[in-house]
Amino acid sequence: MLRHSIPQFDSFEIHASLFTDVQNTEDLRAQVATMPFAMIDASTICSLEQLFCAVYKALVECKYNRLRTKTLNSECILSLSPTSNIAEAFKRFGIKEDSKNIVCLAVTNKSESPFSETVFKEQVKGNEIELSDENLSTTLNRETIKKVRNINCKCIG
Amino acid sequence: MSQEIISQVSSYLTSNVPVIPISQGAEAVVFTTTIHPYAPSNNNTDESIKYILKYRPPKKYRHPSIDKALTKHRTLSESRILAKLSQISGLHVPKLIACDVYNGCIWIEFLGEELPNGSGFSSLKNYLWMCVLDPYSKMVEDTLVKVGYQIGLLHWNDYCHGDLTTSNVVLQNSGTHWEPYLIDFGLGSASTLVEDKGVDLYVLERAVNSTHSRYAEKYSQWLMQGYKEVYEKQSKKGQNKLRDVLKRFEEVRLRGRKRSMLG
Repeated sequence: MLRHSIPQFDSFEIHASLFTDVQNTEDLRAQVATMPFAMIDASTICSLEQLFCAVYKALVECKYNRLRTKTLNSECILSLSPTSNIAEAFKRFGIKEDSKNIVCLAVTNKSESPFSETVFKEQVKGNEIELSDENLSTTLNRETIKKVRNINCKCIG
Repeated sequence: MSQEIISQVSSYLTSNVPVIPISQGAEAVVFTTTIHPYAPSNNNTDESIKYILKYRPPKKYRHPSIDKALTKHRTLSESRILAKLSQISGLHVPKLIACDVYNGCIWIEFLGEELPNGSGFSSLKNYLWMCVLDPYSKMVEDTLVKVGYQIGLLHWNDYCHGDLTTSNVVLQNSGTHWEPYLIDFGLGSASTLVEDKGVDLYVLERAVNSTHSRYAEKYSQWLMQGYKEVYEKQSKKGQNKLRDVLKRFEEVRLRGRKRSMLG
């Protein structure tokens, strides 16, 4: 599991993991709303930079009470999206019925109860691999990302 | 520079992000920092990687709510334009890293370097001053044609810079030549009007005239050579558009940047 803290918001801690070959996607989908973390379809994530950029944006919105969704975790998914449509963001970046690879992401406040290392593993039945740019490049689907990010130029390699 | 602004930024960024002020304009203050706003791989080991932070401080003479709205609007529009421009292939602009519209903060990629022999920072202005001993060299020509090409590309894609001066072009050394980057899109806009493009060109010409007067004629000629190149690559449509822009440029030159004050 990757832990990270954003310098400007050091009272928050970010926990993230990458799971491959997830077996219980349907169960996860059914209880998406009750999970203490966000689940993102890994085929839409191309780098850690992209992921943390969304977290940064969500934290900025959170700090100024501009959250548009119920939790910080779901705000991260919304921040990944180029549009401000919440349903569309969840549909595009959230897990789908056929998602096999999942990025789990939790943003917690350090002053609240500490985040348990095992939460992701208890819920998600799959292989946990290191969350790195290298591994993300294997789970990435270029066509999907072009579609979800509305990129229509040929400039991305 | 006002200590007050610096302490505002420092309290906003917390002590984890030390900043160094480098420049101040009417609307914004520019800082550098070695801390990336969110990338996890930054262990602060490589001090040479820098980032630019552009901060628009609140203006006391404005009503707070108007001030908030204006800051947000301007920060957002600059970020938006930078993001759009970085998608245009061939066009060099700094990469947008993050933005916080509520505080008027934009993080962008740091570009440029110190020129040799203490000639200062590698803006086009300092570069041309550095090259003053051999102002008509092939190197200067190449660089200026490239700058013109960048501006042409910007205009061809229907964007305007709004404040094209020689200090708003930064050169990046790529070994064999200097690659120009357009910076500061604080006054930038998406515009299909020939007027805006004509004004852009006029402002640039005036800037070159006043900072490098002795060689300005040749410099402008090279800039326009690069500019025209972009349009001439496009078929008939490009030729026509170029003709319109140049015609308006002539008109602007006769009357000045501001249009008639009547009406």
